[in-house]
Amino acid sequence: MAAPPLQLHTPASIGPASGPGDIKSRPAWSPYDDNGGTCVAVAGSDYCIVAASTRLSTGFSILTRDCSKLFQISEQVYIASAGFQADIRALQKMLQTRNVMYQHIHRKPMSASALAQLLGNNLYYKRFFPYFTWNLCVGLDPEGKGSVYTYDPVGSFERVGYSCQGSGKDLIQPVLDNQLKAASPLVLPSENWMTALPLEQAQDLVRDAFVSAGERDIYTGDCVEILTITTGGVHRETLDLKKD
Amino acid sequence: MFLTRSEYDRGVNTFSPEGRLFQVEYAIEAIKLGSTAIGVRTTDGVVLAVEKRVTSPLLEPRSIEKVAEVDKHIGVAMSGLTADARTLIDHARVECQQHRFSYNEPMPVESCTQSLCGLALQFGEDDEDKDRMSRPFGVALLVAGWDEEGPVLFSTDPSGKYLKCKAHAIGSGSEGAETTLLEQYKADMSYPDAEKLALSTLKQVMEEKVTATNVDIAAVRPSEDKLGQYKLYNESEIEAVIARL
Repeated sequence: MAAPPLQLHTPASIGPASGPGDIKSRPAWSPYDDNGGTCVAVAGSDYCIVAASTRLSTGFSILTRDCSKLFQISEQVYIASAGFQADIRALQKMLQTRNVMYQHIHRKPMSASALAQLLGNNLYYKRFFPYFTWNLCVGLDPEGKGSVYTYDPVGSFERVGYSCQGSGKDLIQPVLDNQLKAASPLVLPSENWMTALPLEQAQDLVRDAFVSAGERDIYTGDCVEILTITTGGVHRETLDLKKD
Repeated sequence: MFLTRSEYDRGVNTFSPEGRLFQVEYAIEAIKLGSTAIGVRTTDGVVLAVEKRVTSPLLEPRSIEKVAEVDKHIGVAMSGLTADARTLIDHARVECQQHRFSYNEPMPVESCTQSLCGLALQFGEDDEDKDRMSRPFGVALLVAGWDEEGPVLFSTDPSGKYLKCKAHAIGSGSEGAETTLLEQYKADMSYPDAEKLALSTLKQVMEEKVTATNVDIAAVRPSEDKLGQYKLYNESEIEAVIARL
């Protein structure tokens, strides 16, 4: 039995089918999805807050209401990621192995700044087939000050005082700008990588931000996980959001 | 002595029946012919002092390099076959730069030393890997650095062993120098005292008179940003130390 003729896609065959029974069409190859989710981080003089919603969606469907977007690298260093869940998991897995090897070789946990550089390098390494992830790298610096690094999916990053990533970014970031943009008077000369807000006020701001984003963003909801990192340890709290 | 070694010192990968690797032991012997190098650690910095054998007045003393910068915060002093040290130092420089690239931080001194010792062990007889040495490196190093732990001094040898030291000497005068260091080293020494101890110890074991041209002094001390900074002394700075002896 002769094999069917091979269907080749020449330039003429690309584009919408020209009539019934015509099989000239380009197979869609779409390796990405957007599973939504929002992350927020705030760096203070002696604390760092990182928070992320737990809803995992695709289109108008909710896949799960309880999917943490925070990933612990060491005692005081976390990564928060939104975007495509499969890429997030692949990225976390890669960072975890690199972290374990780092500890074997250098006999110390990775600092937030070391992880920040590592994450930036690895995102850029996939510059032309990127991880579809929006990340925050969060922790305390060697002086115990909060540090937040914010990324784009291809690895450009910056140390900032606060940041928001993911589906609720458009709703939350302007509010954070309004409340936190003033450089901290605790650092002289003034730098924009630290905020001036006391811990309790910052926690309230983060809670309000998520509750508000949950009102309008369909990909932010169900629950928000808020971690407060201080030299004393990590405090975890969850806050329920609207489930609709 | 040679009766027992007769067969087993040919191959670099062959243990003798007593469990010894003679080629590695011979490589350690090669260091005992080398010029003396001394390292002293204080809470305020690490000092390296090395002897340069200027064998002829026709020689340009500055071309004899026995101390080298590996990274901003790490310096090494060498003794033995110094040509072998080039390979090791190049390797360490690449490792340090790679660490800075990956993690945006200076490489821990111990990790760098460990990586040097890893390379020191990669010798073998088969020529599968062209980059590999066919024999052990005939050089010992003193690795001085400053990292998160503060000042650190390591000593390495051709077997790939490394030791963390407060003060150490390698090379032909090492035995005599070790005795002096043992007597005179104090844990709470100031940095200028360590400079003086390193150079006076070197002076004792050197055949020639110490001058600003036949010794090199290098230091790793904290810089303004509290990170380590390697520095090679110039002639006038060496003369200032000699004047204090």
